[in-house]
Amino acid sequence: MSTIQDFTGYQPTWCPGCGNWGIGVSVKLALVQLGLSPSSTFVVFGIGCSGNMNDFLNAYSIHSLHGRSIPTAIGMKISNHEFTTLVIGGDGDIYGEGGNHFIHGMRGNHDITVIVHDNRVYGLTTGQVSPTADKGFKSKSTPQGTLNIPFKPLDIAISQGATFVGQAFAGDTVSMVKIIKSAISHKGFSLVNVLQPCVSFNKVNTYAYYKERLLNVPKVFTTKKEALSFVIKARSDDKLPVGVIFKKDLPTYTEMLTQLKNNTLVKSPKTTDIDSLLEEFI
Amino acid sequence: MNEILWKIGGEAGFGIKKAGLLFSKLLSRLGFSIFNYTEYPSLVKGGLNTFEVAFSDSQKSFLKKDIDVLVCLNEKVFNVSKDYIKPDTRVIFDPLTFKPEGEFIKVACPVSKILDKSGNSAIFSNMIFLGVTLFIFDFPIEKAFSLINDVFKGKSEEVISVNKKMISEGYSWAKENLGEKNRIKLNKVSELKKRAVLTGNDAFALGAVAGNCKLYAAYPMTPASSVLSSLALWQEKVNSVVVHTEDEISAVNMAIGASFAGVRSAVGTSGGGFALMEESISLAGITEMPLVMLLAQRVGPATGMPTWTEQGDLLFSVFAGQGEFPKIVLAPGDVEEMFELSMKAFNLAEIYQTPVIVLSDKFLSESYENIDVSLIKEIKDRVGIDRGKTSETFTKGYLRYKDSQDGISERVIPQKNGVFYQANSYEHLEDCHTTEDPKERIKQVNKRARKIKTYLKKHFSSPKFYGDKDSDIVFVSWGSTKHSILNAMKLLKSSNKKAGFIHFTHMYPLSTNLGSLFMDKNKRYVLVENNSTSQLGKLLRMELGVNIESKLLKYDGRPFLPEEIRDFALKI
Repeated sequence: MSTIQDFTGYQPTWCPGCGNWGIGVSVKLALVQLGLSPSSTFVVFGIGCSGNMNDFLNAYSIHSLHGRSIPTAIGMKISNHEFTTLVIGGDGDIYGEGGNHFIHGMRGNHDITVIVHDNRVYGLTTGQVSPTADKGFKSKSTPQGTLNIPFKPLDIAISQGATFVGQAFAGDTVSMVKIIKSAISHKGFSLVNVLQPCVSFNKVNTYAYYKERLLNVPKVFTTKKEALSFVIKARSDDKLPVGVIFKKDLPTYTEMLTQLKNNTLVKSPKTTDIDSLLEEFI
Repeated sequence: MNEILWKIGGEAGFGIKKAGLLFSKLLSRLGFSIFNYTEYPSLVKGGLNTFEVAFSDSQKSFLKKDIDVLVCLNEKVFNVSKDYIKPDTRVIFDPLTFKPEGEFIKVACPVSKILDKSGNSAIFSNMIFLGVTLFIFDFPIEKAFSLINDVFKGKSEEVISVNKKMISEGYSWAKENLGEKNRIKLNKVSELKKRAVLTGNDAFALGAVAGNCKLYAAYPMTPASSVLSSLALWQEKVNSVVVHTEDEISAVNMAIGASFAGVRSAVGTSGGGFALMEESISLAGITEMPLVMLLAQRVGPATGMPTWTEQGDLLFSVFAGQGEFPKIVLAPGDVEEMFELSMKAFNLAEIYQTPVIVLSDKFLSESYENIDVSLIKEIKDRVGIDRGKTSETFTKGYLRYKDSQDGISERVIPQKNGVFYQANSYEHLEDCHTTEDPKERIKQVNKRARKIKTYLKKHFSSPKFYGDKDSDIVFVSWGSTKHSILNAMKLLKSSNKKAGFIHFTHMYPLSTNLGSLFMDKNKRYVLVENNSTSQLGKLLRMELGVNIESKLLKYDGRPFLPEEIRDFALKI
């Protein structure tokens, strides 16, 4: 059995009070409690404050490019589907720069868990607006307030093919561990959007802001329609749901590939014989 | 020696390529060497598609200017081809469609009448024309029938019999109406080796399988798309996974993820898609991840002329990716070299743990040649699989980016209960953790750069010299211009002019020892490139300090014809 120390790398460099601390601990606790070890886990990190977890969390990992963590993780999972595969990134990384991969990665129900540190700002570049910020949010890049309405990761994930959609709050590690554990245990594309205060650059969406608005999800919805109605209703009530919102069991991408029935791709027999392929060219 | 050029053309959607490919396979089975070249606009229906089949009783065949048989499904093909028609060219046409004027041998076959009589639609006119062709060359119709049986395997009996019937109708018409005098007499071909009719893309796809590539990720883009469709079709048979991704950025990062997991992977695209992949080339560079990329060039910039050929991305591939890191660029000159270098690319990517780019272009990617199956097998055995310092086991204190004399660190494939490590896009320590320490930075930059030296010592291939050592003129070129130049040299020989040819396939990094190749004061060196800025010329100037003044450049989207190169050489 591995311990939390096995997963612990360098001392984090996050700001004191940053929501990342809670997320970092919760990820480690979830992995330990699920009986995983750093050498049985793939993690792909995005670029940003959240991605800097690469040095703080031990695993077989890639600190990838900004926005590109999802396809990278899909490549790893297809190649060795016996490994638990996580993506850790921020809202700017996964919903902004990597938005196309987020939308399309879900369509194949790849068995990966995507954990998004959603703090509504760009922290590492010192405070510009992110895709999830509310309309009117003032930042270094939008001094007059952003004209864009916010990106809606939960709605998109539910409708676009994610088979597990949850939301956690960085200030509540106990329930966050539970949500992350169910996300990892779920076979299929899992999204955990984590509401995270940025103490340095977001003076609007603070711990207090979130606490006032949190709403426990009453039950896990199994139809898209119910899940979406719940999410939309919560938004109109100015509430932020926390918990597992949607879950549906469907075959994963690697389960659907007949050539991976008996082996992982990395262990599949070497088939370099081209004689029979050449016949079609004669 | 017979050197024949047969050309068919018509509207897109009328089986121009199908007829051309059938004819090529037939020729290949009869023992001829073939070379095909196809031109088509970027649309699905209408426009003008042409397919040229050059064939010969010698070992290699190649395009030439003069057409021997022109098959016109419409008037357009005649109009674009009439400058290449000689008095003894057989022009086959349907007099009910149009009546060509000029001095040549007219073969007026009433194709639409034959179709009406048999109740078949115009899409079968290609088969009637093929039947006429068979008669002209006196090729056995039974051979064509057995080819149809093989090629249409899995199709309904009806489809097979209609195709055969239309070929027979064409053949019978020709037999009754043309007579012996209109036939073209060919030498007997004796050697009947089993040969495969392959494009450069087919050769890359076969090289990927032979090189144990297990994951291919791509977004369709002309002229690279047929690699995606071939590998997708074969994936279950060869235990690989092919993913058509949402974009090229996704494709390249998926390949990098697969590579991390220990699987050989590749991507394929053209210039536009390659531009999107650039940042990840840099990622593969710093994380020292094996990555094979097929860059099938087409006419740029931007959307350019999507279905035409150009060697416009040599420097783009050499300089691709931000920052400084080792990268290997290969440019095969023909189908045979494509098979060999694509297999080699998978080895080099793992040995040097860095991106390897295989440069092709529309001309190489989509033109067919037939090569001996035995030769393909021999190359496959010779190149083999070499994974370099890739291993499944590790020793205590394992460091992924450990400094080493040859610049290459050991790469352990992730195993459960193995030794975890990260591939870090940030500059890193030997143990993978992020660093901004100046000494560690220099250590890793130097380590990575040392891989170039190792490559130049161990795996770089100097350009190949062809032709006469004592010639006045030496062509200097790279990649797919190879056969245009070799054939130009044959033509020059018959005009009593000797020529030499330096052909590059290993484009970058370049050994700096090559400068002496260009130092003979008694020779005139001529750069021949399918681009407007002479990119090889620039590369040689940059890397070797060699300046070649004389240039023959072509950038109209078409490949070089040997005659153009000969004429240029005769003038200087």
